Amino acid sequence: MLDRVVHRTDLSALIDELARTRRIVGPVKHEDRFFYEAVDRAGRLDLDFTYCVYSPKAQLLPPKETLLTFDRTTGNFTCHPLYDERPTVLAGVHPCDLHAIKLLDHVFGAEHADEQYLSRRRHMFLIGIDCPHPCTAGVFCRDMHAHVADSGFDLMCYPLERDQAGRTVRYGVQVGTTAGQEAILYGRVGTPPTPEAEQHLARYQAEKDRAFPKAIPVDSAGLPGLLAKSYDSLLWEATARRCYSCGSCNLVCPTCYCFDIHDDGALGGNGGERVREWDGCQLRGFAEVAGPHNFRPKPGSRLRHRVFRKGKWILERTGLPGCVGCARCDRACTARISLVDMYKQLAEEV
Amino acid sequence: MKPRIAIFSLTGCEGCSLAILELEDQLLAVLDAVEIVNFREGMTERAWDIDIGFVDGAVSTPGDEAEIRHYRESCKVLVAIGACACLGGINTLKNHQLAAEYRGYVYGERAAWFPTTAARPIAAVVKVDYELPGCPMVKEEFLRFVKHLLAGRQFRLPDYAVCVECKKRGNPCLYDRGVVCLGPMTRAGCDAICPTYGSKCEACRGIVSPEALAAAALNLRDQYHVPQEEVLAGLRLYGAYQEEKLP
Repeated sequence: MLDRVVHRTDLSALIDELARTRRIVGPVKHEDRFFYEAVDRAGRLDLDFTYCVYSPKAQLLPPKETLLTFDRTTGNFTCHPLYDERPTVLAGVHPCDLHAIKLLDHVFGAEHADEQYLSRRRHMFLIGIDCPHPCTAGVFCRDMHAHVADSGFDLMCYPLERDQAGRTVRYGVQVGTTAGQEAILYGRVGTPPTPEAEQHLARYQAEKDRAFPKAIPVDSAGLPGLLAKSYDSLLWEATARRCYSCGSCNLVCPTCYCFDIHDDGALGGNGGERVREWDGCQLRGFAEVAGPHNFRPKPGSRLRHRVFRKGKWILERTGLPGCVGCARCDRACTARISLVDMYKQLAEEV
Repeated sequence: MKPRIAIFSLTGCEGCSLAILELEDQLLAVLDAVEIVNFREGMTERAWDIDIGFVDGAVSTPGDEAEIRHYRESCKVLVAIGACACLGGINTLKNHQLAAEYRGYVYGERAAWFPTTAARPIAAVVKVDYELPGCPMVKEEFLRFVKHLLAGRQFRLPDYAVCVECKKRGNPCLYDRGVVCLGPMTRAGCDAICPTYGSKCEACRGIVSPEALAAAALNLRDQYHVPQEEVLAGLRLYGAYQEEKLP
C-alpha cells in the first residue's frame, strides 16, 4: 500500500525540509563506490546507489565514542555521561540495513537500554530506499528474507520509474511512523497514490521477486539446523588457515555490534574519559580474559563463532536474523573467505 | 618524585626522538609529569641515573653495541621506540646485501673508517622492556604508554591488524583497487595513516602474529599471485621479516 507518490525533486525537497532542523546523512559516491556521509543538502546524495561499502551502523554506534567524562580533582568524584542528541535524517537505507537496524534496536533497546545508542536512535529519521534488483553479485539477502522491509523506517521509497540515464524519477512512498506521516503532510510533497500507481507498485514487486535469486541452499530458518550439524566440521580449521584475524568482516557487518570499553586517563591522572570502541570476535584478544586465558585462541574457533552468531545463535536468542545477507563481509575479506561459500560447502557436507 | 627520563639515539634518523618534541600541545603536561635528564635532541645536560630510557635507532655499528649496553645498565626500564629500534628498520636492508658492496656504495674509499655490522633491533643485544614500533613511532602511542606507566597500568600494543583501524576510519580498501597492502598482516596502532592517504601499508610496525604471516603467504600466492620474493621484499623494507623463507 502506497501513501504518496513523489517525484525525485520532491523527495530531495522533503529531505531538505527535514534538514532545516536535522543533519543529513546518506550515500555519497567516491570514485565508483558509495559511502554514508554527512552532507549539507539532499542534492549531494546519490539515492540510486548500489550499496554502501560500510553499513549505516556507524551512524548509530560510532567506531569510537566517549561515553562519559570523569574528574576527581576536587576530591569529589564527578562524572558526566555524554549523549549525541543531534537530530539526523538518514536517507537511503536499503531493506537489508533496515533489518540490521532492527536487530541493533533490539540489542541496545530491549536487552539492555543503552542510553548513548538510544539517544542517537531517537533523534534519527530513517528514509528507506527499496532495491529493484540485487545491488551487486554475491548478496544473499533473499535467503535471509531481508531483501524487503515492511517496517523499521519512517518513510520507505519504492523506485517506480527511471529516466533514460537510469535515475529514479518517481517514487512510491510508504509511511512507517507518525513522524513519517507528519513529514509527508507538512512537507505537502507529492500526490496521493492513484490506482495506477498501486498497480505499478504491484508490477514492480512482481519483477523484484523474479530479480532476486536464491544464493545459498538453505534460508535463514534452515541455517540453525545446518549449523547444528556442522559444529565439528573440518571446514572451520581449513578455511581459517587463510584468515588474518583482521576483523574486517565484523567491522563492515551491519549486525555486528560488539564493543570494548576502556578508561583513558588524562596525563596527571585526576580525570579522563570512558571510551567505547568497536571490537570483533575475529580479533585475537576478543575472548581473552584474566589469567590470561583465551576462550578462542585459534582462528578456526573464531571463524566458527562468527558464523554461528550470524546464522544460528542471534536468531535463536532474539528471533531476528543475525545476518541480513548483504555480503559486506565477503567483499571486505582480502583472504576471500566467503560466508556464501562456507554455507554451500557445509550444505554439501551434511 | 617525578620519574627521570632519557631519550637516546642509535643508528637511525632520530625522527622518533623528534616525534616526542612534536607532541607540542601535550608537551608541557608531559614535562609536568616527568623529568627529562638526558636527551640529545632537546637539551645539553647529561645525567645517567635514569628511570625510563627511550631508545630509537638500530644497533648497526660496534659503537652502537657498546652504547646500548651502557643505556641498559643506566636505565631501570628500557623502551625501544620506532621501527629501527624494534625491528632493525630500514637499516636491515643492508643485511640482505654484500658488506663490501654497500660499504663501498655508501662510504667510497673511506669505508674502512666506518666499521659496521649487520643491523639488529635493540632486543637482539640487550633486554628490552617495552617496544613502541612504527616509522616514525606514533606519538599518541608514546603518550598512552607514558600515562599507563605513570598510573601503574599494564601497557599493551594493539594485537590486531591495521585493517581494524582502516575500517574504523571508513576507508576504502586498497585491495579493491588492486593494491596489495600489507595492512592485514601488520600490527595496528598507527590509525592506518598510510592507507588513509591512499598509500599501501609497508609493515613498519611489524608483523602482527605468526598466523597472519602464514595466512599472508597463502593468500598472496593463491589469491593475488604475488611471488614470495615480492612479499619478502615488502616485509623487509622495515625489517618486519628477516628470515629467508615464509612459513
